Amino acid sequence: MEKTLAKKDFPQWVKKLTSWKIYLPKKDAGGRWNYAEADGEDVLETRQATLPPKTILFPQNEILLEFSKSRKGNAETLEVKEVLPPAEPTVVFGVRPCEAKAAWLLDEVFASEPRDIYYWMRRENTTLVGLACTPPPSDNCFCTSVEGSPHAEEGSDILLTDLGDKYYVRSLTAKGEALINAAKGLFEEAKPEDRKKVKAVHTESEKKIQRELKGARAVSEKLKTMFDSPFWDEEAMSCLRCGICTYICPSCHCFDINDEIIDTTPLRGKRVRTWDTCQFPDFTMHSSGHNPRPDKASRLRQRLLHKFQYFVQVYDKFMCVGCGRCITMCPVGIDIIKVLEKVRDHGA
Amino acid sequence: MEPNVYLPRLAKIIQIKEEVGGARAVKTFRTELVNGGRFDYRCGQCAMLSVFGKGEAMISISSSPLVKDFMQFSILRSGRVTAALHDMEAGDLIGIRGPYGNGFPIDDWKGKNLVFIGGGIGLAPLWSIVQTALLRRKEFGGLSLIYGARTSADIVFKDELRELKSQMPVHLSIDVAEPDWKEFIGFVPTNVLDKKPAPAGTIAITCGPPIMIKFVIKNLKDLHFEDEQIYTTVENKMKCGIGKCGRCNIGFHYVCKDGPVYSWAELRTLPQEY
Repeated sequence: MEKTLAKKDFPQWVKKLTSWKIYLPKKDAGGRWNYAEADGEDVLETRQATLPPKTILFPQNEILLEFSKSRKGNAETLEVKEVLPPAEPTVVFGVRPCEAKAAWLLDEVFASEPRDIYYWMRRENTTLVGLACTPPPSDNCFCTSVEGSPHAEEGSDILLTDLGDKYYVRSLTAKGEALINAAKGLFEEAKPEDRKKVKAVHTESEKKIQRELKGARAVSEKLKTMFDSPFWDEEAMSCLRCGICTYICPSCHCFDINDEIIDTTPLRGKRVRTWDTCQFPDFTMHSSGHNPRPDKASRLRQRLLHKFQYFVQVYDKFMCVGCGRCITMCPVGIDIIKVLEKVRDHGA
Repeated sequence: MEPNVYLPRLAKIIQIKEEVGGARAVKTFRTELVNGGRFDYRCGQCAMLSVFGKGEAMISISSSPLVKDFMQFSILRSGRVTAALHDMEAGDLIGIRGPYGNGFPIDDWKGKNLVFIGGGIGLAPLWSIVQTALLRRKEFGGLSLIYGARTSADIVFKDELRELKSQMPVHLSIDVAEPDWKEFIGFVPTNVLDKKPAPAGTIAITCGPPIMIKFVIKNLKDLHFEDEQIYTTVENKMKCGIGKCGRCNIGFHYVCKDGPVYSWAELRTLPQEY
């Protein structure tokens, strides 16, 4: 389904979606962009939010289970109850195409058997409306180097393209169509000249990407030979092991599970899943004290190998969408593109 | 509604046996599901045990799948969850989910000699297959066990090992001399060299601390075992058990689902990060 929507009608579309919970990038009080709930004054902008919309599909903290003990006479009973996410239809507008592509990568991890029901319920209930990047939202964007593009469709249910006074609306899934059908009167059939224009906009936007990693697939192959190289020691020297590169990453999916106690007599508590990071020593430390990844070098190597070698070996895709957040946010300027370029050229 | 893989089943501890006391305490827990019995599993698979309020820990199932009415776990008091398990009593309730991992390819080993090589608590993951091999005795050639612990007090399954000696050669070792010790003194890999298991028609299966596994494999190679004749079961810190939480990987393998059992032919091709 290919339609157009007058830009001035976008708020009307949002208003008509009364049975959906709606998120889009908004500027917070501190001036940072983040995905927040629609508030009636909703405008789409091509911004890179601090945190990707991964937070909606895979929240930083979520309760998996609740447990409680109780006593009847002398017998102690234990009740364990699953806490599933609310089944509320949700729309995320203005998703960067790379962020939607990251959801498509997360699907490989969480939706593969055995399926992670917490992620999957949210994913099934969420409609992602991508907005093609015109221009790229960050100086560190490099999506075109990792088999992506500023108008990638993977993971999106609808892809919008800004044509000046209107959006070109391409529906990609049944979920996307439902969203258009909910406000049918606002949309017009796309015309051949609109299609032509979209193509031009997309081509132009690709040219505006400023960063490039040449030969990412070759890097992937090269990494297989670099595991034992002293290279990693040098690259990791400046790392503060803060983990920000993984927390703000749209495709990082590692998590921890811990029990939190609410009350002790009788016992009542919850089992909570929380984002975790491969950059922390505790991530892999055995209870014996033995740690297979004992230093910064082995942990930097893990991050890069997971994204550019291991994931590629299993799924034939990079686990990096080229959003550049890890480059922008790293407090000591570790630049994944530069590190991977050095890998590529290592020993040459 | 599809099953929730993170939701454990409730199980009752029906028996606890103290194997080792002191600082490196080991206890064996016999459990049954509250709804009766146990789930199906293969030798070498693991289960995620829950102590509610403390968390979860991945533990290998040490009983044989041929024993139908309970599941047994032998656990070293080591971290938060295992300490909480050690403080529990028979009748207490825990959570169990699983089974996880690939398990030993025991059916591929019919007609072979099996030599089990364990160190410390590493005998627990081997125990399931030792028991199974005994129950299916006719299907295998010679069976033997080489097992060591730091001190004689640290030896697990003391009673069972005494009994096992009537069924297969059992070669024990301790790291340093003790007054009444009559068997081998030294590390497990050294005892392997001393006992010289013959590689012809033999599969060697080893588990213990990572450093022990590395040297056992080296010494088996010196005894001319082929990579395909050496199996080990490895451990790594785990949270999910299903290849999603991202921490137990060795290269592109997740130990929880692609392992924990590896032939050396397979494991040697992965980064040596375990």
